Amino acid sequence: MSNPLAAASRKVSLFAKWFAGVGLLVMTAIIAMQVFARYVLNASPAWAEQAALLLMIWYVFIAAAAGVRENFHIRIAIFADKLPPKLRHVVIILAQFIVVIFGAAMAFYGVELALATWEHVIPTLGISRGYAYAPIALSGIMITGFAIEQLVAELRSTEVDKLWN
Amino acid sequence: MELMVLLGVLVLLLIIGVPVAFALGIASLATFYMLDIPLIVGFQRMAASMNIFALMAIPFFVFAGDLMHRAGIAERLIRVADAALGRTRGGLGQVDVGASMMFGAVSGSAIASVSAIGSTLGPMMREKGYDADYVVNVSATSAITGLLIPPSHNMIIYAAAAGVSISLADLFLAGIIPGVLTGLLLMVAAYFVAVKRDYPRGAFPGWKAFILAFAAAIPGLMAAAIIVVGVLSGVFTPTESAGIAVVYTILVALFVYRSLTWERFIAATTASVRTTAMVMIVIGAAGAFGWLLALLQAPTQLADLLRGITENPLLLLLLINIVLLLLGTFMDMAPLIIITTPIFLPMTTELGMDPVQFGTMLLLNLGIGLVTPPVGAVLFVGCAIGKIPIEQTVRTIWPFYGALIVALAAVIYIPELSLWLPELLK
Repeated sequence: MSNPLAAASRKVSLFAKWFAGVGLLVMTAIIAMQVFARYVLNASPAWAEQAALLLMIWYVFIAAAAGVRENFHIRIAIFADKLPPKLRHVVIILAQFIVVIFGAAMAFYGVELALATWEHVIPTLGISRGYAYAPIALSGIMITGFAIEQLVAELRSTEVDKLWN
Repeated sequence: MELMVLLGVLVLLLIIGVPVAFALGIASLATFYMLDIPLIVGFQRMAASMNIFALMAIPFFVFAGDLMHRAGIAERLIRVADAALGRTRGGLGQVDVGASMMFGAVSGSAIASVSAIGSTLGPMMREKGYDADYVVNVSATSAITGLLIPPSHNMIIYAAAAGVSISLADLFLAGIIPGVLTGLLLMVAAYFVAVKRDYPRGAFPGWKAFILAFAAAIPGLMAAAIIVVGVLSGVFTPTESAGIAVVYTILVALFVYRSLTWERFIAATTASVRTTAMVMIVIGAAGAFGWLLALLQAPTQLADLLRGITENPLLLLLLINIVLLLLGTFMDMAPLIIITTPIFLPMTTELGMDPVQFGTMLLLNLGIGLVTPPVGAVLFVGCAIGKIPIEQTVRTIWPFYGALIVALAAVIYIPELSLWLPELLK
């Protein structure tokens, strides 16, 4: 993969790491605030739980996309690892290709879902329900890119450097 | 036919190493296509199965446990266990199990447990003449107790997979006795192996040292207590309880243990987000998959298949557990909970098993899969820390497998172990 693309991929992965980390912290703050409001101020904000959930969905999809690049998703490697090197090479490329397809499908249908629900409103938040589906599309685009990067790396017998550790 | 496609594509993709979430997704999409259902429905199911308030407790459980781990709770728990159990023959083996059980309460992650206890207690044990394989065997198998001793985020995953009808409070209570029983049986196994290998006896440090050690561990153990009491009393939702536990843990780590550096905080945040993303994306994909399983009546078909082998409910339970154990040797816990629950739960319910008992049985069964090759994440982490090859531990791990199997059999065939506490506190 040419350098500018690899650099962009690194940036996106680091962005995902920070976005997700901050997302978890903000989510913690929202729930803590909700408890405080309910038991101390005797007023439970209706939007808090929904907002925290929406935030979680966003950072889960973004972090899961980065997981393709950082290779942290749960998988069974034992069978592929037992194969002779040449066959293993082919199988890994095939597996990455399947991830590319799924990423592309996520991107396509994520956009469709967001558009189809754009007119609906999440009552407690007053924003479009499309925001709940948009991360599927965004994650799909990222997964497609990262999986292509992995695929090309395997074709060239190189490895994508990991940034999440 | 469609069911064959759904399962066949899944197995094929898993074998070639496609991540579980994407394998579930593609298998589902292929089946949606065959059934002439618009593919968009698949992604809708995926989003819907993640869009559940109760699931928010998962990142909080994981985060609180990881923070406590990095704040150094393991050393403190080991000191408590050492003061209480160290004086027996092969005492550090007992300490290992005891500390893992307490750590399990704080963290609920078997991998965190084996890495925390294994890396702190392991070197101490090696110094005192314990063999490397023994150290790994004890800390890996006893890490499983943390899956049953509440709080445990895997229980939330199970509750989500089983549907809304199961209360997390019941699951928490149900896990206590099986978790402690498993720990005790492992202690017995550890004791007999220690006697056979003539491991040394520790000294009792005195009541004062015990009380001091316990006092130092209390702030850490409180994090688990907050979650358990919050959930059991119903004052807080599980999500709120876990959220409070996170805030509490940060405060304890910063001001009481004073061990939380900025780097450790970032590392804990990143690790928790990673675990959450791994688990949640599988939950999402399995949502679409499970919807298809139900649509294609997979549970009924499997029930018919198994009934063709035997009608005896006790043997059927045995059969189900053997299937789960076999699946567990190849696959990780979270995906298996989500995939197998909708298949086996209707069947065991029909056999008269309470869904709460099915939960403890499932967690223990799949937990055993975490310490068995060819794929056993907890055993592998234990071996990596103990710096010995997996083959070497597997040669001597049998007494511990034995203890786990006895515990599992007890949980399967004695419903009271799981159901007595929840009924008592109803």
